[in-house]
Amino acid sequence: MSHGKMGVSRLVIVGVLVVIIMVAAGVGYWYSLEQERLRQEKIKQTIIIGTTDKITKLDPAKAYDFYTWEVMNNIGEGLMKYKPGTTELEWGVATNYTVSSSGLNYTFTLREGLKFNDGTPLNATAVKWSLERVIRLDDDPAWLVSVFVQSVVVVETYKVKINLKDAVSFFPALVATPPYFPISSKAFPANAVKDVTDGWHGPYKVTKWIKDEVLEMEANPNYYGTQPKSKFAVVKFIKDAVTLRFAIQSGTIDVAWKTLRPIDVSDLKTVADLNFTEVPGPYIRYIIINTNRTMHSTAWPSTDAKFKLVRQAIAAAINRTEIAETVFMGTVDPLYSMIPMGMWSHTDEFKVKYGDANITLARSLLTQAGYSETNKFNFKLWYTPTHYGDTEADVATVIKKNLEATGMMEVTLDSTEWATYAGEWIEAGTMPIFLLGWYPDYIDPDDYTTPFVAVEAGDYGMGTFYWNATLFDILTQARTKTTIAERTALYRQVQKTFMTDVPHIPLFQGTLQAFALSNIKGLVLDATMLFRYYLVYKE
Amino acid sequence: MVSLRAYILTRLLLTIPMIFLLLSIVFVVLRVMPGDPIKALIGLKAPPDTVESLRRQFLLDQPLYIQYFDYLSDLFRGDLGISIYTAEPVINEIMLRFPATIELAISGTIVSVVVGVLMGAYSAHKHNTIADHSFRLFSMVIYAFFIPWFGMMLQMIFAVQLGWLPLYGRADIYLEPTHITGLYVLDSLLTLNFSSLINSIKHLILPSIVLGLVLSGIYIRLTRTHMMETLRQDFITAARARGLKETTVVYKHALKNAFIPVLTMMGLQFALLLAGAVLTETTFSWNGIGTFLLQGIQNRDYPIIQGIVVFYALLVAAVSLVVDLIYAYIDPRIRY
Amino acid sequence: MARLVRLPRRFLKKGGEWYLTYAGLAIITLIFAIFLLAPIIAPYDPIKTDVGERFTAPNFQFPMGTDLHGRDVYSRIIYGARTVMLVALASTIISLIAGVPIGLASGYAGGKADRVLSLVMDSIYSFPGLILAIALAAMLGPGVVNMSISIAVVYIPTYFRMIRGQVLSVKENLYIEAARAVGAKARTIVFNYIFPNVIPSILVLMSLNIADAILTEAGLSFLGLGISAPTADWGFDLQSGRPYFPGLPGRGSYWWLITFPGLMIIVTVLGFSLFGEGLNEILNPRQREGE
Repeated sequence: MSHGKMGVSRLVIVGVLVVIIMVAAGVGYWYSLEQERLRQEKIKQTIIIGTTDKITKLDPAKAYDFYTWEVMNNIGEGLMKYKPGTTELEWGVATNYTVSSSGLNYTFTLREGLKFNDGTPLNATAVKWSLERVIRLDDDPAWLVSVFVQSVVVVETYKVKINLKDAVSFFPALVATPPYFPISSKAFPANAVKDVTDGWHGPYKVTKWIKDEVLEMEANPNYYGTQPKSKFAVVKFIKDAVTLRFAIQSGTIDVAWKTLRPIDVSDLKTVADLNFTEVPGPYIRYIIINTNRTMHSTAWPSTDAKFKLVRQAIAAAINRTEIAETVFMGTVDPLYSMIPMGMWSHTDEFKVKYGDANITLARSLLTQAGYSETNKFNFKLWYTPTHYGDTEADVATVIKKNLEATGMMEVTLDSTEWATYAGEWIEAGTMPIFLLGWYPDYIDPDDYTTPFVAVEAGDYGMGTFYWNATLFDILTQARTKTTIAERTALYRQVQKTFMTDVPHIPLFQGTLQAFALSNIKGLVLDATMLFRYYLVYKE
Repeated sequence: MVSLRAYILTRLLLTIPMIFLLLSIVFVVLRVMPGDPIKALIGLKAPPDTVESLRRQFLLDQPLYIQYFDYLSDLFRGDLGISIYTAEPVINEIMLRFPATIELAISGTIVSVVVGVLMGAYSAHKHNTIADHSFRLFSMVIYAFFIPWFGMMLQMIFAVQLGWLPLYGRADIYLEPTHITGLYVLDSLLTLNFSSLINSIKHLILPSIVLGLVLSGIYIRLTRTHMMETLRQDFITAARARGLKETTVVYKHALKNAFIPVLTMMGLQFALLLAGAVLTETTFSWNGIGTFLLQGIQNRDYPIIQGIVVFYALLVAAVSLVVDLIYAYIDPRIRY
Repeated sequence: MARLVRLPRRFLKKGGEWYLTYAGLAIITLIFAIFLLAPIIAPYDPIKTDVGERFTAPNFQFPMGTDLHGRDVYSRIIYGARTVMLVALASTIISLIAGVPIGLASGYAGGKADRVLSLVMDSIYSFPGLILAIALAAMLGPGVVNMSISIAVVYIPTYFRMIRGQVLSVKENLYIEAARAVGAKARTIVFNYIFPNVIPSILVLMSLNIADAILTEAGLSFLGLGISAPTADWGFDLQSGRPYFPGLPGRGSYWWLITFPGLMIIVTVLGFSLFGEGLNEILNPRQREGE
């Protein structure tokens, strides 16, 4: 066995292998350089949005959360839509509508020749099919259609008539919501809910979707309207708020949208290279008081009148500015009415009568109700620790401090998880006084007022158990009146009643915030909470 | 001598009660705790009918024992139910995120075993030297490295300060490989996508090091002990007598014997790996089952929580069975 | 070897395992000292905000810096030791009280009950511990008590298995047979013969268990399933400090927010590990490695 001979042929084999590997590596490297160049080119035309929200289901019959609705507004469109930056409606895939004199029948004229991404036509039949499907599947958002719509009739190929059960004048606002979007009957199953990416008609179409990871979109060449400002858009789904902060800090995303923690927002505001945009949002936070005295312990005020005084006292003692500053670092705005700022008919009702930290007024009201420094009004304030973010405990703490500053109230704080909070106790009236929030379904004062008034047996008015037949009449009228002026007058009355009876106390209104790299333009935020990717571009 | 088939069957039969026990604990506690996931989910505004029909759909209006038996009968047919939050079958949701966890587990194990075995072998070889004591100490110290902290330290150095490696995630934009298995490295190789391959590996390095090093201690000590025993044996003396180089003797011949114990240990460590993966996924923002479980808990998504518990129990049992089978195959005395 | 103290010769033996044990013991003593003396050695109230400027780097007044709320990190670390040790000890004791008697009884009794119990314990044992703790903690809610229970459940099987194993091996010993032959009651046998033999192993197990429990507690708190703010806790502080380690342009990294809690976890876990492992090697010496 000669080592020499074996050594040489072994060496040759190894040598050849090394050369092959080096050549392969070289080719691979050159190839990947080329791929990288192409990729960078594509990135130049891409807007990357980072968010901690998730798509729940890409099916308008099922999705009932703002984020999925936002995505649907980018890959699809409804008969009507909101003008970006405003809460005004404009035409979507419909060009016109007429209303019958009874207010019960809306006839929409559609744009002609539109097609869904899978090639099927977008016509009156499609609209009818889509609406009936939502009603039939009866899932989370179905009530937005089934409570209001009686029937849908195809008048002509591009004319569809929707017959309502009640003449609600905010119907066009409903039509702009995704459950009313026309979708393809070929792509969406008739009797089941399904994630579908290609049965829509909108500014973007979906090219790739890895659930909870990334959503890639490309401009839809068949879109009837203006093409998106950026040819590509990508949404990166980020696991948590801290990583979102890291992502925008390090520039791996172009826009950070929902939801950064207030602390991170104030930190990032100091970064010169990041542009910060903020608008009043449509979501509000408030305290709910169970006005039904009999559901509480015997220690509570002995008459309804006294109880009302106590409620008013609470409203007076609260210091909204303190909450907004210390807990949220100024990223929320104090709110003085259940109808949010920026919405027509809003008035700062609670400011007018009560103001903030009005200890004098609070004390006088409490005294009238029979309380004093030796006989304090004692109650439990409830909150839920994670559903609204981790700042809830802090909000409750400030409120407790505010109320105890009167010297005539004693507040104990308690909390329970959302599943119990919203799942059982609100309806059961278990919590006498608690914190709650509100995200609107449709942009109209009706959505912020009617749900808080009990009407029939079994209604709980979101925990207020507030029965007021007169008020309910006003609200019904307000729904059906057709001019903003008439409706405003009625909602002003409603706000005044709420201010006197205090079934709930508005605390603050959230803001919508986004951070963007300095070269990103076209960011438009508004109270609809719908971020339009198709308006954003890189300079 | 029991046949292999009988052995497998016995082991499988033993697995079933194990899974039922864990499932039952979780099942009952979830439903006994107050709170209604449906109402919590769709908010307070939906009319009672919608809430009721959804509750009916998920059998939440039925008494506990009916829900339990219904779940079990579905389970027998391999149906883990539907997620309350997304209306997708639980098994689909799990399989969507499982590849990320598995990729992490595999690469973590590779790091663990390579580091562990090499250090252990060297320790055994250079027995009672400073190196030996250092490695033994290392094996204990590294276990105390709290995973999130260790991860953040590495992120701070390699991602933020030096910028050599990415901070979080599995891949950069437009570099996710086409989905075949869900394991990014494997999929990149299968589709010959070299940019994806490099990018995926880059994203895998820090998490694997964190997970792998922390769990490497046991391999260090195991290899060391085993090697030291092996090195005393006759065939090693014989090899040395034959004039073979010391390194060949140690690292080629003696090490081969450590293969089986290491393999067995990999099976035993699997549960620990899955647990460690939760913290690793959170620190590096990976979309795996760990983070998915946390999400399910937040949403009180019962089917998801139950599904993950069952899935993990099955997984652990399967891995342990496979390891034992390999062991039994090699050494027939073990079967019973 | 200088004899400064007259200790029994046994304790001054040289040998790796003794160094480990002593090192571990030293750390454990230190941690317990911190635990007991916290109110005295902590310069500030750990939950009091704004005792200093927010985010100050370690300096003379604040040796470990201040955090986001202007709280003294050093004081939080000290009081954090209390939280962590409280949970770790409580959970270990619960596991002990639950696992040992059941293990003793099961091992001694044998038969069907033993098989069923072993199956139950094996199921829990083989399941990933942290994940079970997460599921339990999520269902029970936050708080020191709930965390201790969640963690305890995970480690009960460890004690059960160890004790049962010991019992099984000791059961066959002749002196047990002899005792039984003379008619000694089961209880007597267990307490007089079996139990004393297993105590050293229990001590080892407890030490290692506490080490694991600390890591699990830190894990739960890091994930937000453990204590509630503003209690001082190392895992929780790690999570609150996390956004600040990259630093922003014009502002460095606030590294002290995560470095110190992390180091404390390592040191404490190490202390209990070293002690446990060292003790284990003393009690069950491996074959003398002839060289």
